[in-house]
Amino acid sequence: MLISVEVNGEVVTWDVDPRETLIDAIRERARLTGAHVGCRSASCGACTLSLDGLTVKSCCLLAAEADGRTIRTVEDGRTPPEVDDIQEAFIAAQGMQCGYCTPGMVMSVRHLLAQNPDPSDDEIRRGLAGNLCRCTGYVNILKAVRAVRDARLGR
Amino acid sequence: MTYVGASIPGRNNRRSAAGAATYVDDIRPDGCLVMAVVRSPHAHARIRSVDTSAGHDLDGVALVLTGEELRDAGIAIHPSGTNVNFTPRTAVRHVLAVDKVRYVGEPVAAVVARDYVTARAAAQAVLVAYETLPALGDARAALKPGAVLVEESWPDNVMVDYPIARGDADAVLAATPPSGRTSGTLVCNRVAATPLEGRGIIADYNPYDETMTCWASTQAPHVLRALLSAALSFPEGNLRVIQPQVGGAFGGKIPMFPEDVITAYASRRLGRPVKWIEQRDEYLSAGGHSRDMRCDYEVAFEPDGRITALKAGLLADVGAQSTFLGWLMAIVSAACMPGSYVVDHVSIRLRAVVSNRGPWQAYRGYGKEVAAFFMERILDDVARAAGLGRDAVRTRNFISPSHFPFVQPSGWVTDSGDYQGTLEAVQELIGWDDFPARQAAARADGRYLGIGIGHELTPEGSSRPDALLNGTDSATVKMTPRGDVTVLTGVTSPGSGNETGIAQIVAECLGADLDRVRVLQGDTQSAPHGNGNYSSRSLTFGGSSARLAALVIREKLEIVAGRMLNADRADLEVTGHRIRSRASGQSVTFDEVAAEIYRKPHGRHMAGIDPALEATRAFKIDNVYHRKDEDGRYNQYPTWSFSTGACIVEVTPETGDVRIEKFALVHDCGVVVNPLLAEAQLHGAIMQGIGASLYEEIVYDDDAIPQTPTLREYTLPGIRESVDIVLGHRSTPSPFTFMGMKGVGESGISAPGPAIASAIDDALADFGVRMTTMPFTPARVWAAIQTARSAGRGE
Ligand code: FES
Ligand code: FES
Repeated sequence: MLISVEVNGEVVTWDVDPRETLIDAIRERARLTGAHVGCRSASCGACTLSLDGLTVKSCCLLAAEADGRTIRTVEDGRTPPEVDDIQEAFIAAQGMQCGYCTPGMVMSVRHLLAQNPDPSDDEIRRGLAGNLCRCTGYVNILKAVRAVRDARLGR
Repeated sequence: MTYVGASIPGRNNRRSAAGAATYVDDIRPDGCLVMAVVRSPHAHARIRSVDTSAGHDLDGVALVLTGEELRDAGIAIHPSGTNVNFTPRTAVRHVLAVDKVRYVGEPVAAVVARDYVTARAAAQAVLVAYETLPALGDARAALKPGAVLVEESWPDNVMVDYPIARGDADAVLAATPPSGRTSGTLVCNRVAATPLEGRGIIADYNPYDETMTCWASTQAPHVLRALLSAALSFPEGNLRVIQPQVGGAFGGKIPMFPEDVITAYASRRLGRPVKWIEQRDEYLSAGGHSRDMRCDYEVAFEPDGRITALKAGLLADVGAQSTFLGWLMAIVSAACMPGSYVVDHVSIRLRAVVSNRGPWQAYRGYGKEVAAFFMERILDDVARAAGLGRDAVRTRNFISPSHFPFVQPSGWVTDSGDYQGTLEAVQELIGWDDFPARQAAARADGRYLGIGIGHELTPEGSSRPDALLNGTDSATVKMTPRGDVTVLTGVTSPGSGNETGIAQIVAECLGADLDRVRVLQGDTQSAPHGNGNYSSRSLTFGGSSARLAALVIREKLEIVAGRMLNADRADLEVTGHRIRSRASGQSVTFDEVAAEIYRKPHGRHMAGIDPALEATRAFKIDNVYHRKDEDGRYNQYPTWSFSTGACIVEVTPETGDVRIEKFALVHDCGVVVNPLLAEAQLHGAIMQGIGASLYEEIVYDDDAIPQTPTLREYTLPGIRESVDIVLGHRSTPSPFTFMGMKGVGESGISAPGPAIASAIDDALADFGVRMTTMPFTPARVWAAIQTARSAGRGE
């Protein structure tokens, strides 16, 4: 079936299989491989994307459901090797090891800070509760998020 | 410039954060097909027939493979390797089941199709007729007389029976009065490493030159190449294995897996690239588990807490052992007891038993975490029975620093340590002495706080005899004509950051500028042979071999620079990519010396010098004994890191919920090359240790049917479960490695289990609760409290 979606600011038309998930369409058709697959059961958050401004686990959406909607990915149309301040903070704080969860984490942090520029530790924890990381024990991820929050607030 | 000891963020961080890292599923060779595996829904059944026609007929399906086809093609995994001290029963393995299936998730057939949805649909259309057999739900069922046999050529289900003895534990126990004895049963849960990225491989056979290139999410490309070559009878030299970025491994990607062989076979048959990417439900049933061990113990002790005898029966449920070598973890558990403690009379008997649970696969800790859980719980039991402090009992029994190297009853040789040092340091960090007052105040408020400790021993650098995972590795260091340095290593990084640490070591040893040192790993076509990543050895072995190679290059640079500067080598100072004569103050850059060597090989400074600026060296570690010596020493672990963990928990008796308020760990891994990365490793290991203690358990029912098929049942800790981790460092350098490095990576995974158990016991002391079965889920803690209440204890 034909669908039309806006991906990182560009409108594209895809002929998708009705069984195809959104994560597979983004990875295979748009060739945006920053979002990963870790479970296909909405448990890990590696596939987190922004759909009409809300973070979604794209493994549990069908590509067809994205018809007519707006998607943003971790790449977000940036020119390599440009990254945003959240990603810079993850880099400096060693907020990652294998990096598999990182793009999904970054998407959730972008959303969290857009909603709440000054989250407490508890609020950060709630905001990232849908993203699993098996490597870091979350210690340096928390450090990274606090660092961007403080930098944005000029603290 | 000192790079060793500097906290430098990982070199791959930027591409990872950008979402630009390339994992195996991000690679798409032209014309690549996708493979899906048909798996057994039964724990134990005979295969009556496999009807592939409906799968074949689907549009877009290229190939359907069955066990029979692979068997007829001569594809099988034959047992290999030698073992000292015990003889395991073995069997030839089929990568796709033939005749019968032994566990839920075992590969039975495979489908190759144009894309993922087609492959999955075709896999569902393959019809397998089974005749179910009685299934063995666990090791105890497998041991019952008359139990059905998992391996029909064996007389029973026991794979390994391994006794370890020193002195006469039975006699000492018999001679000790009841007040000086205690006994109990401990159970360690079955868990799975669960890296966020599953396993996966792409095989690309080229029929023209008969070569095959594989990209695999693996920890050891060279080892995978050798094993694949043997399994497929494919020339090793025609096989290239590339490790792209790996999304975590933790032992779970040490090769080789059945799917690797099936994928490579399919590609060779089709002459096209074939990709297999593991799905999470496949991983949780068939990717390999660990732990799953119980311990029935009896100890004798003196009134001062000194343990005089230890008798332990260990029963490991290794599942339906497969192509995996995970069952060896059971050996490590047994051989690491009593571990950190001196016990004169020891009798341990390990039985590793096959059942219809899934096979074992290596996981961070590799059996040492089980040994630590058992020993530390036993020490707590002795403290309770003797009426002594938990710390005092440890102090009383620790191997003292002057007793190293210390030979364990298993014959393994513990190299060095200062266990009392980490214990005291962690008590300081957690606030051990002030805690009782706090605890009493909280108790008066109706809150249940507890404090606990757990000591762990983490032998590293596993060096098995007659195996490709042994105590060596190699590295090449080379310099380009313009003075840039490339390091190629046989070790790999699944996200641990050793590429960064090795660059630091090479820059330091060579006197190079760190920014001009590039480290390349994970391609059998360019890297020298190596064993990859396991047993926390990548820096100790990879770093040490890179250092040896760097010193060769440095020597040549110094000789030529000395001639260029008219100076003696002893007069030269090498730092920051520059060689300087102290006497004259004149200097040349590495770039200039490299240009001299490459561009003027016949010039006056090059007389008698071989112009290669490239060296490969292999590091072979000491303190490994592969034949038993006259003292019974047989040692596969050259260096022994250790840590002591401590934690404070709060338990809610109404729900059984356990919350960790603070976790402290003081570790000793010798000299630390990169504190930022070493601490990051420790954070991750501790969190995995906490996960296995409170949240994670692979559960089977009595018929060996898995009850935890997705991450919704196998619950990994999320950020809401993350705890405040405080780290302390101490350093007793290893006498056997460069600068005394000992390896980090596994350290920290073992201490949480016993420390948390100890803290829960302490919090619930009123109830006399003793946590003996991991994980300490709310249901288990609550049940223990109810049992105590109905016995009239507590409140
Ligand atoms: S892959 Fe979507 S939540 Fe895990
Ligand atoms: S960095 Fe590996 S899963 Fe988060």
